[in-house]
Amino acid sequence: MNGEDLIERVLREGERRADEVEVFYARGESVSTEIKKGILGTAEESEAWGMAIRTVKDERIGFSSTGDPDRWKECLDAALASGRIATPQQWGGFPKPAGMTSTASSSDGDLIVAVEDAARMVGDLLSGAAQHPVEVVGGGANLARSYLMVANTSGVLYGMDRTVAAVSLEAIREQSTGYEFDASPFLADIDARSVGEQAASLAARSLGGRDIETGRYDIVLSPVAAASILGQVLLPALSGRNVRAGRSFLAEKLGEQVFDERLSIYDDPFVPGLGSTTWDAEGVPTRRLVFVEQGVLRQFAYDLKTGYRYGEGSTGSAVRSGSEGPGIGFHNLFVDGPRMKEPGDERAVWIHDVVGAHTANPFSGDFSVEIANPFWMEGGELTEPIRMAMFAGNVFEMLREIGGFGKDARRVGRLTIPSIRLNNQQIIGK
Amino acid sequence: MADVRYYDIRCVRGEITLVDIDNGVIESAGTSFFDKAVIRVLGLKGWGILTRDHVDIDSKRELDALVEAAARLAAVTEDRLDLADAPRGVLPVPPLGEDPRDIDLEEKTRLLAGIEAAARVPGVANTRARYTEGIDAVRFLDSSGNEFSYEAVRSGFSVLAIASRNGVMQMGSERDHIITGFNLRDKQDLGRKAGEVAVSLLDAKLAKGGAKRAVLDPELAGVFTHEAVGHASEGDLVREGASVLAGRIGERIGCEGLVIVDDPTLHEFGFIPVDAEGVAVQRTEIIRDGILSSYLHNRETLAAVGNGIPGHARAEHGAPPIVRMSNTFIENADATYDEILSECKDGILLIGSRGGQVDPGRGVFQFNAEYGYLVEGGETTDMVRDVSLSGEILSTLHNIALIGNDRKMSPGYCGKGGQSVPVSDGAPHLLLEGATIGGRGI
Repeated sequence: MNGEDLIERVLREGERRADEVEVFYARGESVSTEIKKGILGTAEESEAWGMAIRTVKDERIGFSSTGDPDRWKECLDAALASGRIATPQQWGGFPKPAGMTSTASSSDGDLIVAVEDAARMVGDLLSGAAQHPVEVVGGGANLARSYLMVANTSGVLYGMDRTVAAVSLEAIREQSTGYEFDASPFLADIDARSVGEQAASLAARSLGGRDIETGRYDIVLSPVAAASILGQVLLPALSGRNVRAGRSFLAEKLGEQVFDERLSIYDDPFVPGLGSTTWDAEGVPTRRLVFVEQGVLRQFAYDLKTGYRYGEGSTGSAVRSGSEGPGIGFHNLFVDGPRMKEPGDERAVWIHDVVGAHTANPFSGDFSVEIANPFWMEGGELTEPIRMAMFAGNVFEMLREIGGFGKDARRVGRLTIPSIRLNNQQIIGK
Repeated sequence: MADVRYYDIRCVRGEITLVDIDNGVIESAGTSFFDKAVIRVLGLKGWGILTRDHVDIDSKRELDALVEAAARLAAVTEDRLDLADAPRGVLPVPPLGEDPRDIDLEEKTRLLAGIEAAARVPGVANTRARYTEGIDAVRFLDSSGNEFSYEAVRSGFSVLAIASRNGVMQMGSERDHIITGFNLRDKQDLGRKAGEVAVSLLDAKLAKGGAKRAVLDPELAGVFTHEAVGHASEGDLVREGASVLAGRIGERIGCEGLVIVDDPTLHEFGFIPVDAEGVAVQRTEIIRDGILSSYLHNRETLAAVGNGIPGHARAEHGAPPIVRMSNTFIENADATYDEILSECKDGILLIGSRGGQVDPGRGVFQFNAEYGYLVEGGETTDMVRDVSLSGEILSTLHNIALIGNDRKMSPGYCGKGGQSVPVSDGAPHLLLEGATIGGRGI
């Protein structure tokens, strides 16, 4: 008993002891192959099972989770115990079943979770990397399939399949390193050979970089670098919980022109992507959400709990990770704007990635990070490598005036983002 | 099963208790349960690894089936590796002062609320506190007949305060985690400190970037040790060719008198009684008197690389063991804090840590201070905020001009290969010459 039968049993037992009950259930399998010393070193296969229970009694929400089906009663007890301590809050009930007409897919019927397929992808990664004179020091391939369900005592019972194919490769030449990666629900999206080639190319081409003087420069953040910095600072500022708690720079700025008029940020759960879904982690129907429209702040993201508390209603933005309870997040987030041929012809410092993005101050937006694989860019082409430097700035300030977006938008996890040109930024040389 | 050279299974069954208080509201308080097993088989070449929920380690039949499945995975590997012999043994786990399991959730929540409330000093707009308690029951057995079990109990909290004035927001945060018992009593001071730092940062200046003399406080100097030296000395990175410290044993990489140690036997937050492969843990001097002397190893990297000490394999529950640090620190020397400040003359004093990151292959690291003070004529003056420091592993340790006598350890979590494990790091106050400071002030 570990599927719908168990869910049904938890709901019925929980209903006797609480006003409402919700069960979130996930099971999955995955294989991964890891590169060691430039060949296939380790093969791993994993099966996971997990169930999370939420109870609501007298407007108090309780939560617990377990990885052991035999402990479901203990888990239900723990959820109820947790609810007795939580502060009561405005609550309007778990969602009822909705007639959802939209579709969204994040599952690939052709993806088979087989170690032989993952091993073949490692072969492709390595043959791509072999295009350049480098050593491969890490990376691998991962194939996964999972089944997620959410059910509650208001009659919701939704289930969906998800798949993931992911590859990465890390290369080195002398003291010059290169790392590339990609992940998608759809196997056909993943070009392992090209990922291997790109990583190796970064390591090979970054060798012999010259020093750069401290000063102000025009820069181009690659999609990877832009995703790292924006992910740490901008995305938390769009969470309704942070906004209401006074932890968001964007609080009380709805309707204002907060960023460059070319910048738009939206969540589209219906396009194919890693987070595509028609219902969120609480069973609320998802919808397309425009957070920033041509630089104007339009809305924030809410889950049920924060939505009820502040009279906003859920925006279908609940997500879950690991065994924790639902929180506010994004499904398929897009940072978008009108694209240029290349992000500007004029000479600029192109930054592939940054080291230490997680040390940025998420509230003030200030950051200073080390840059990785920087190059001089001229006429849209990468010319000479730069040895090393730091980049310091403020995310909220720098997005007020953007130099332009490149045509090179790509997936970085659940975010799709182009390269971003920013003029007159602070670079600290060595 | 002729193709199985070795196998082991490690099961971790446990509970996690979390309490989250946000601006006085108890957002959640509760316990969750997990039961994870990792089965590893060393085939003719490399590892086949299985991860499962809820395995009965005492069932011979279940174990045999899992070993067979892992062996099939191992068959696709190509990189031949061997396991070095290593000393066995399990240290006693330190006794618990007060067992967190004896304290009910209501009391934990009430104590955490006290710390959170203490952070709400005038000028603070938002406070948040989080209690984390982990009880892990670990069981291990391998095909060589080794078997052990132990229990690890961790208890601690973090508190965050955000001060706000005219649209400017600044934060202060404190944390404390221990392995020796319940850790929420009499901690309001840390809450108050988080609040006070946040408020005073509202008036702090932006630091100016560039090369200058820097004094690092023990917490930040610990993160420096972890990022600048610790990761690059990990045997797996050395074996893969992903560390600039490869091939440099016996080489001088730091100033005279510099001793850098990783010691899993210390009863700090990174303590482990035995490593995740059943190998006895021991103090490892990575750098002795400025000379690179040992790598951190597990059994396979010891066999492949040598020049180091095993017992450094660690794993998050449900993940395979990899080479990790535990309690990493710079040993005390004899400079006093006042001597260090006066020797600094003009520079910057950096305090606390918001974390760091390293690219060990390139030999470049970055880490960030919570705040700092300008040093002018050997005295601290204006407060500065949002200061990072970056450097190169191979040159930076030569730039340590003075080592203090006041080492302190700080607990935290370290991420590598998608796994997070508890660690501590520390150092005495340090004076660094020519440190690259990343600031956007002018």
